[in-house]
Amino acid sequence: MTSSPALMIEARGVEKWYPNGFHALRGVDLCVHQGEVVVIMGPSGSGKSTFLRTFNAMEDFQKGSIVVDGIEISDDLRRIDAIRREVGMVFQQFNLFPHLTVLDNLTLAPVKVRKRPKAEVERQALELLERVGIAEQAHKFPGQLSGGQQQRVAIARSLCMEPRIMLFDEPTSALDPEMVQEVLAVMQELARDGMTMVVVSHEVRFARKVASRVVLMADGEVVEVAPPQQFFTNPRHERSKQFLSQIS
Amino acid sequence: MTSRSEVTPWWRNRRYLPWLVQGAVALVIGVVVAFLLTNLLLNLTARGLLLSWSWLGQPAGFDLAETILPFDASLPYWRAMLAGLVNTLRVVIAGLVGATVLGTLIGTASFSSNGLLRRLARVYVEVIRNIPLLLQLIFWYFVVFLALPNGRDALQLPGLVLAKSGLFLGSPELVDGVWQAPLRFTVEFGALLTGLVVYTAAFIAEVVRGGIASVPKGQWEAATSLGFPPLLTLRRIVLPQALRVIVPGLNSQYISLAKNSSLAVACGFTDLYSVSETTLNQTGRAIEVMLILLGSYLVIDLVISALMNGLNGLVQLRER
Amino acid sequence: MATTPPLVVRASPLRRLQKELFGSRLDGLISIALLAALLAAGLGFFRWALFQAQWAVLSANSTLFAVGRYPVEQQWRLWLLTTLLALATGFSWGLLRAFPGSGAVRALWPRNDRWAAAILAVLALWRPMALQLTLAIQVRWWGIAGLLLLARWAAGRYGPAIPQACRRLIPLLWPLLYLVGMVLISGGLGLVQVPPSEWGGLLLTVLMATFAILLCFPLGVLLALGRRSELPLLRWGSVIYIEFIRGAPLITLLFLGQNILGFLLPGGLAPDRVWRAAWVLTFFAAAYVAEAVRSGLVAVPAGQLEAARSLGLPVPLALVHVVLPQALRVALPATVGQFITLLQDTTLLSLIGLLDLLGTARTVMANPMFLGKNAEVYLVLAILFWSCCAALGLGSRALETRLNPHSPSAPQA
Repeated sequence: MTSSPALMIEARGVEKWYPNGFHALRGVDLCVHQGEVVVIMGPSGSGKSTFLRTFNAMEDFQKGSIVVDGIEISDDLRRIDAIRREVGMVFQQFNLFPHLTVLDNLTLAPVKVRKRPKAEVERQALELLERVGIAEQAHKFPGQLSGGQQQRVAIARSLCMEPRIMLFDEPTSALDPEMVQEVLAVMQELARDGMTMVVVSHEVRFARKVASRVVLMADGEVVEVAPPQQFFTNPRHERSKQFLSQIS
Repeated sequence: MTSRSEVTPWWRNRRYLPWLVQGAVALVIGVVVAFLLTNLLLNLTARGLLLSWSWLGQPAGFDLAETILPFDASLPYWRAMLAGLVNTLRVVIAGLVGATVLGTLIGTASFSSNGLLRRLARVYVEVIRNIPLLLQLIFWYFVVFLALPNGRDALQLPGLVLAKSGLFLGSPELVDGVWQAPLRFTVEFGALLTGLVVYTAAFIAEVVRGGIASVPKGQWEAATSLGFPPLLTLRRIVLPQALRVIVPGLNSQYISLAKNSSLAVACGFTDLYSVSETTLNQTGRAIEVMLILLGSYLVIDLVISALMNGLNGLVQLRER
Repeated sequence: MATTPPLVVRASPLRRLQKELFGSRLDGLISIALLAALLAAGLGFFRWALFQAQWAVLSANSTLFAVGRYPVEQQWRLWLLTTLLALATGFSWGLLRAFPGSGAVRALWPRNDRWAAAILAVLALWRPMALQLTLAIQVRWWGIAGLLLLARWAAGRYGPAIPQACRRLIPLLWPLLYLVGMVLISGGLGLVQVPPSEWGGLLLTVLMATFAILLCFPLGVLLALGRRSELPLLRWGSVIYIEFIRGAPLITLLFLGQNILGFLLPGGLAPDRVWRAAWVLTFFAAAYVAEAVRSGLVAVPAGQLEAARSLGLPVPLALVHVVLPQALRVALPATVGQFITLLQDTTLLSLIGLLDLLGTARTVMANPMFLGKNAEVYLVLAILFWSCCAALGLGSRALETRLNPHSPSAPQA
């Protein structure tokens, strides 16, 4: 046990009902170890985004348990805040703050939540922007950037909180095709640097190249968990085969 | 979520916190309301003014300058307030019609091909909207209507006479220096109505303008290419579509007009508010009078909203 | 009336004018009729203004219109306050030019500013003279206007030299000045008390309007947040409050404040008549501001709050730094519109016996000496209100463009 990498996310028997009675998650289990990149796939409505969002308590759940970086999610607001500080999230719609410059988007949370000195955070933010390749846009507003640039800013914004885990909720689905690659490249580099990542995505090439494991979800359940090589060439389950035939 | 290793303190439990916040708010509101009501009860008891409605049946003892319902000082208070309410309704209904017509004209004038007309429509809106309604009402009453000539010098048109003593319709005659006619409106009513119409029309013009602007330009072009003359295009093509946007906007303007009619007291017109004020001064029944007043205006607002919602349904349905 | 959307055609001004006014036969007829009517109205007005109107009613009562029955021996306090206000205005104006919003060009005296300064100078020189004020008072007005322009120049010129740390304190100048103003007006801290019943005229109008505007805004924001809250009690409480207030005419609420507030509070606790009216105005306007702000909140996508929460910002911080700045920008025109309405609504104070500008006018009218001079007084009041409201509207539009012209929610120039 001691030699294996630390367990970063441990979800056990997670069940969720929406207020309208819809059973969105039906007892889902998943473990993510440090440095792993887990790609969750599945048809729309399969509960994959909902599942991802339970990891930083953006969605609550009724049964089961989730432990993130050693902290169990509960109704304790202090714990939830602690988890959110350690877990970065990137959204399909970017959700950059349009009234703040790119730089201010990055520094807002570290300064207000972590109470770090502004000058230091700004230095770090510029480094991060350099890393995602848009340092020269630091003083522009999000509305002046292309979709791909915006999503890279969103990644940098999450990284500025120095998270130990990054969650990606369909990060390339709202992008024009020619911008998908620039975002995936940033994510790939992040994975190479050893970031623990959980990605909800339909990008097969990305999953093949970067994922440690691929998870297929359908109807609120985990159907199959397998290394990408095996998942894409030789899926075990009928549901997986069906899904792969649909997306390819 | 089950299997919790330790008990979460209630003040940071996200399941209980909302209820806690609401409980605190409810407590504060409850205490404040209880405090106010206790004082109210104590003060009213001390002055012998506990809630009662029997005074409504006592003779009012004051006269009303202008009523449709027959009224004199010997009739009870409730009749006085009813007469006031009818007066309010009269000016509101006339005002709604007048303001809609004038507002629509000015709103469409801002799309005229005539540059002067267009600019005048803008000037009208910008001037009227930025001057307090009360000031305008007082202006119409004291400066315009009370300055009208009387007797033989009155403005005379066939079937119509406008004098300081009022507007006379239907073959007016001068009897001993006093105009008489089957239909008479007082200058108080005239000033209030003019003020309300002129003021509300500026806002309605903006609503109409916004509605017309919301119709895609392609609609104008399509109609023109089919050979429609501009006026016909406006009436048959653009306005029906603009109504979807206009009707909800009109609703709030109509409600403001109804509420603004309560400024009647400034030009001496005996509307509901003015009668209520007199009633309160005579009886001291502040709570009851306030309840009647607020209730009446609420009902008027609701009726206007209901009618406009019905109209809205019609307008939107036609779309499909 | 022909109605087609105006075409944008570049042509000589005269050609354009001809096209605009006499594009078709109908347009020509309309133009001639309108021009004739305008000419007649203009001539009539000038004949009245120059030969018939008697402006003495204003000059004889100028103090009454300005401050009401404020005791003469205490009026130096109001002069002091006016001077302070002029200095602060000039200072802020200069700083705004010294630090233009992003995208704007920095210039010490842009064209609009030169116009404003010129108009101010003309007003300061001509108004007091036209009102036939005494020379001593005329000189005071010249001095005040001079100080304003001097402060404007100094701040524009030397503003950038102010150290960063001090600069952040500058916005506090105005709330501080407001408190100083309240003390100067009402007394206390060693000054003789002047009860609100002696305030009047422009002083009372401005005081009521600013008081209500300043307080109704935070209240309105809270109510709007309450109405959008997930907590049913907060939501329904806000809805009931907002709809109750919006369902009632202001005059009935003012009436309620005057006649019923005394019953609701234990004896002696009920505020003075003027303050009762001020609070009613505040609570009234808050409901309308809440609706304006709510329209802004609706415009902020839910993802914004989510993103802020996912970054670890607690809800209050997320609201203050992420949601409200965006919502308030969208709501700005509607909110300022409510402020303009509120300024106009202060005239209703005259209906409950307070001596605001309009109330003062009505008492002056009642004086047999000035009987029948309604038109002169109401015209000047109308111009005064119109300029204040129009200025607020212009200011709101300027603020809208200044607030970040690059953001997608800002109007594109």
